[in-house]
Amino acid sequence: MKTWHWIALGTLLIVSLILEFTYLADYASHWWNHVPAFYALLGGLGCAVLIFVSKGLGKIFILSDEDYYDR
Amino acid sequence: MIVELLSIPAIILILGAFVLPLLPERIRSTAFITFPLLALAMVWTMPEGNLLQTPFASYELQLLAVDGLSRIFGIIFSLITIIGGIYAFHIKDLGQQSSALAYAGGALGVTFAGDFFTLFIFWEIMAAASSYLIWARETKESDKAGMRYLLVHIFGGGLLFTGILLHLTSGGSLMIESIEPAYTAANIFMLLGVALNTAVPPLHAWLADAYPKATITGAVFMSALTTKSAVYVMIRLFPGWEILIWVGVVMAIYGTIYALLANDIREILAYSIISQIGYMVTAIGIGSELALNGATAHAFNHIIYKSLLFMAAGAVIHATGTSKLSELGGFAKKMPLIIGLYMVGALSISGMPFLNGFVSKTMISGALGDAHLEWPILLLLIATIGTFLHTGLKLPYFTWFAEKKSELEVSSIPTNMKVAMGIGAFFCILFGLAPQLLYSQLPYPTDFKPFSIYNFVEMTQILVLAFAGFWFLKKHLNISSTISLDTDWFYRRPADLVQKAFVQAPNNLFGFTEDITLKLANKLSALSKNPIRYMLPAFTSEGREVKSDGFTASMSAALAFILFGFLVAILVVFL
Repeated sequence: MKTWHWIALGTLLIVSLILEFTYLADYASHWWNHVPAFYALLGGLGCAVLIFVSKGLGKIFILSDEDYYDR
Repeated sequence: MIVELLSIPAIILILGAFVLPLLPERIRSTAFITFPLLALAMVWTMPEGNLLQTPFASYELQLLAVDGLSRIFGIIFSLITIIGGIYAFHIKDLGQQSSALAYAGGALGVTFAGDFFTLFIFWEIMAAASSYLIWARETKESDKAGMRYLLVHIFGGGLLFTGILLHLTSGGSLMIESIEPAYTAANIFMLLGVALNTAVPPLHAWLADAYPKATITGAVFMSALTTKSAVYVMIRLFPGWEILIWVGVVMAIYGTIYALLANDIREILAYSIISQIGYMVTAIGIGSELALNGATAHAFNHIIYKSLLFMAAGAVIHATGTSKLSELGGFAKKMPLIIGLYMVGALSISGMPFLNGFVSKTMISGALGDAHLEWPILLLLIATIGTFLHTGLKLPYFTWFAEKKSELEVSSIPTNMKVAMGIGAFFCILFGLAPQLLYSQLPYPTDFKPFSIYNFVEMTQILVLAFAGFWFLKKHLNISSTISLDTDWFYRRPADLVQKAFVQAPNNLFGFTEDITLKLANKLSALSKNPIRYMLPAFTSEGREVKSDGFTASMSAALAFILFGFLVAILVVFL
C-alpha cells in the first residue's frame, strides 16, 4: 500500500461523510440512521468482529489438520 | 412426439451430450458451445404458457412451462453454459464435455418443468451428470468426494421425491405452484429436498466438500447450476415462507465465517456461494414482488460473478498446480490480466457500486426495508463485509500479493480461458452500469432505482473501513495448511466405523461361517469315505495287527460275496 492509496481511500470516505451530513441529514428509514457515520463504524467494527470471531471458532473446533479424515 | 421433444431447450443439451461422442475430437469444443447457443435462442424466443404436454400414467406432464421467472433463469443457465464452454475450449476430455452438457440440460429442464415428475427427473439428471465433473479430476480425494457428493444428492432427491409423493397422496396437484406456508409432512420433505440443493446448513456440506475437488472447468459449471436451479425451485414453491428469512441470514453469516477460515481458494469461493445464496433465501422468505425480483436478480448476477471467480481460481490452479493459500503468493506480476478480471468479480460480489452485485443486493435490502426487517438488513450487511474480506481481499492478497511461501512454476494460461473470463467481467460491468437491462427481464415489473446517494454512502463507508480493518488485522486470518470441519464430519468421521459395522463385520461373519461349514463338510465326507473302519476297528491278534479295511484281495472277495448273498436274501424275503 502506497501513501496515495490511503489518500484516495480517505478522500472517498470524506466525500461519503460529507454527503451523509448534507444530503442525508434528515434521512431516517432505519433506526441506525441517527447514528453519525454508522456505516463506517459498521464496516470497521464488523470487519474486526468477523476476523476475531472466525479466528476463535477456528481455534475451538473448526480448523483441523489436513489428514484429519485419513487418520 | 419425438420431434416435439426437440422444442425443449433441456433436451437439446442432453441430446448434445449424446451427439458429442459421435463427432471428431477437433470439432467437439465448438459443438459444445453450439448446443447452449441454440438453447439460448430457443429460451429467448419461446412464447409464454404451457407449451408441451405428454400423458404419463393418469397424469398429464407439463414439459415446457414458460413464464417470466423461468425465462430469466433459462437465459442465465444457457449463457453460463456458453461461457463455461469457452473456458473449457482447450479440454479434450469427452466425459467432462458430455456430462457438463447433460448437467446444464438438467438445470434447464428443472427450470422449464411444469410438474413435479418432470422436475424430479431433471433434478436427478443434474446430480448424476455433475458427479462426473468431480471424478474427472482423477485424484484419490476427488474419487471419494464425488461418491459422497452423489450419495448426498441421492439422499436429497429421495427427500424431495418423498415430499412429492406425500403431496400427491394428500390431494395436492402435480403442477408446480407456490405452496401455502403449512408445516405438513409433504411440505417439510419437499422443503428439505430443495434446501439440500440450495446448500442450507446443516445440509450444505456437500458443496464445500466437492467443489474444491472438482476439475478446473467442472467447478465453473457446478458453481452456477445446482444451487441456483434449487433457488429457482424455492422461488416457485416456497415464496413468503417466513422461516426462510432467518434461514437465509444464518446461511449468509455461516458461509462467511467458514470462507474466512478456508485455506483452499476454491473452498473460500464455495463457502461464499452458501453466503450469497443466503441473501436469495432471505428474499424468498419475504415473498413480496420486490423481494422475489431481488432473489431472481441476485441469482442471475451471482451466477455471472461467481463463475468468473471460479474461472480465475481455476486459472491460478492451472498455472501453479496448487490451490492452497499456504503455498501461493508472490506472483502478482506474472498474471496481471487474471488479477484484474478476478477483481471485477470480487468487487461485484462485495456490492461495489456500478458492478452487478450492487444492483441486486440493494434490491434485496430494499425489500427487507419495506418489510421493516431491520436486523436481517444489518446481519446481511455484516455478511457483505465478510464477503469483501474473504473474496475481495483475503483471497487475492494471499494468492498473488503476499510474500512468496514456496517456489512456484507459473505456466501460461490458454487464451480461451481468458476470453471466457473477459466475457464474464463484461457482463458484471454491463449489468452494473445498466441495471435496466436486467430489471426489464425480471418476473415482476419494477421501477426500482439502485443508484441513490444513500446506497453510495452506505457501500463506500463499509468497503473503505472494511479494507482498513483487513489491512491492519490481516495477520489474524488463517492461511495455514488446515481443513475446516463442517457438518460432513457426521458422515465422514464415522465412515470407518460404519464400514466396519456394516461391511466388514458381516463380511467376517460370513467368512467365518463359510469356514466352519466347509470344515464340517470335509469331516463328514472323510467320515463317509470308509465307514466300515468304524464298525470293524483295527485290533491286534496274536501279536499282529489286523486292520478292518486291510483284508487281502481274496478275503475281500469272500466278504463281498457274503454281503451280496445277504442282499439277495433280503430281496427274496421282502418282495
